[in-house]
Amino acid sequence: MNNAHPQTSPPAPATHDPAQDLANKRLAILIIALVGLLLAGGQTLANLATQGHAAFNTTNLGLFWGLPIVIYDYFLLTSTGLAMVASLAIVTGAEEFRPVLRRTVWLALAGLLGGVVVLMLELGHPLRALWAVPFSFAFSSPLYWKVMAVSFYVLSLLVLLYRLLRTHWTLQSLRPYALVALALALSVTAIAGVVYGSQSFRPFWASGDIPVAFIFESLLGGLAFIYFFSYLAYAFNPKWMPADLRHLFDTRLPTLLALAIFIHLLFVVARLGSGLYGNAEGLQVWQYLASSPLLYLELFVGLLLPLILLMLPQTRTYPAVQIVASLLVMNALLIARYEYIIGGQLVPLFKGAWAPDLINYVPSMTGWLLLLVAIFLSNAVNAFGELKLGLGSNEQ
Amino acid sequence: MAKWGMVIDLDKCTGCQACTTACTMENNRLPGEHWQDVLFYHEGTYPNVKLMWFPRPCMHCENPSCVSVCPTKATYKDPNGGFVLMDYNRCIGCKYCQVACPYGVRFYVDEKAVVQPDIRGAFPSDDGRQWDPPYKGPQDDPSRGIGIQPHGVVSKCTFCYHKVSKAPEGVADLDEDIPELKEYVPACVRVCPPKARFFGDLDQPESRVNRLIADQRGVRLKDETGNKPQVYYLSGGASASVPSLRSMAAAPAPEDAADTINEISDTASRSA
Repeated sequence: MNNAHPQTSPPAPATHDPAQDLANKRLAILIIALVGLLLAGGQTLANLATQGHAAFNTTNLGLFWGLPIVIYDYFLLTSTGLAMVASLAIVTGAEEFRPVLRRTVWLALAGLLGGVVVLMLELGHPLRALWAVPFSFAFSSPLYWKVMAVSFYVLSLLVLLYRLLRTHWTLQSLRPYALVALALALSVTAIAGVVYGSQSFRPFWASGDIPVAFIFESLLGGLAFIYFFSYLAYAFNPKWMPADLRHLFDTRLPTLLALAIFIHLLFVVARLGSGLYGNAEGLQVWQYLASSPLLYLELFVGLLLPLILLMLPQTRTYPAVQIVASLLVMNALLIARYEYIIGGQLVPLFKGAWAPDLINYVPSMTGWLLLLVAIFLSNAVNAFGELKLGLGSNEQ
Repeated sequence: MAKWGMVIDLDKCTGCQACTTACTMENNRLPGEHWQDVLFYHEGTYPNVKLMWFPRPCMHCENPSCVSVCPTKATYKDPNGGFVLMDYNRCIGCKYCQVACPYGVRFYVDEKAVVQPDIRGAFPSDDGRQWDPPYKGPQDDPSRGIGIQPHGVVSKCTFCYHKVSKAPEGVADLDEDIPELKEYVPACVRVCPPKARFFGDLDQPESRVNRLIADQRGVRLKDETGNKPQVYYLSGGASASVPSLRSMAAAPAPEDAADTINEISDTASRSA
């Protein structure tokens, strides 16, 4: 009698597959983003359904554009900044940027989607805008040009992304597409500056250098986002990052980010100085801003601290420092966008019974929820790209 | 073609707000959101303080910044009369015209009501309009911003287009004292008790508005913006005047005012 038992293989030793771990973590990020989007979006829609546009806390007394427009412009300019970095790298043949090109272009689209969704929720007639703006041919309006430029900008990014996602590409072959994307990203950013800079009776906004300031601000945002979201793509574990990406993060990128912070700081300090010493009607808001801790948080914690950390040879290559620095810069830029857009409307157009002093504005809960909607939506789209599109691969 | 304009004599204006009330009735405005508002403010510092007021309609500018910034051409300059009007059917509610108007005379219809409780809740509309008040004018032309507004758009003063546009061709002045013309006079002009408002064709040199502007040195508000308003103000400085500054921060500091008072009292005592 053969009582031999069928031979069973011994249990395999537990293998630790880093690729699978990373995929799991990326899936977790996607799920968290989707759940966040569901919760924030659901509450936002509920608020809008019950309160209508009044949920945004804006008024007819002078504060017309509130936090939703701040969020929209923040995400739009971050998107153009990312596109500028990617296309500049391609145009100038900067091979060391190769590991982040796909991620940067995809992130530019994801960020733009977050911003545009917020804008659509703020507009009175978002669907009408889809046909009324392009077919109005309102050439005298900066907003008309902005919408048209954004439309073509999206197309250029999609073409560039399509080329990047193909198996074989070289920087040389991408150059024409990158040039178009660069021109359109610059146009969108500059026109966004003109929207505010052309308002001559609002001295806090009006300045010929605003479009240029916006371009440098965008570049700064783009660089900070590349840092943060590249780390996020590898679950903040530098050991999982490819060597060429780490090389970029330890050599050229800290220098570029520090330089961008420095240039942005120059613009901020120059505007602050001339604003505080200026006596034109409308510039009083600088005194108000200078008495608020938000400005100092932006200047010292959001800009100066990262600048120092990224300039010191001892700290600039530490992943934790790079993550914190990029996060601080991203927050500083949001504060800057808020102070610029809201600040330009705080001084009432007329003194009087309805508006005796600076206009009081406090962002509503719905406004903050919209920020979460934009963040979660952009993150969800970005995480999907990381999972399915191989954004970190470096194919030639 | 006429270019309608308004002259407001600030020496006659008593700040009674009959214009505001008439406009509210004519155009179904909400409490606190008046197309034709009278701003009240004070000049100086205690004890040398004056209560001032300033009537402020839409200026129906010749070169309106609200029109040039509109991305859909929803707000436009009507060549027949020079009205600045709104087309509710094209407005997307982006509010750039509000941002770009130096006079603050545009209103987004879905903001929180200035005066609570919100009267719109008591008279809800079932045809997509903002509300359905028990009394409303028969005129309804969404392409010119006339009638109860739909949701999600910006509204503004029409210079009572529905009345003025029906005036006989070639008339130089729309004066409520001329019986055959009074129905064409804008509501705010028609009811002004001290007759501080005049309405006429700025393109006709012999019109009363042009004579008033020439004889009494009519000025335009915030002319430095380049908008070229079609509303002119007359002011001899006796009572209300065109405010030169827009914020309270521009008022003299209390210590400066105190110094001035001390100087005056010193001079007076020396004279005595």
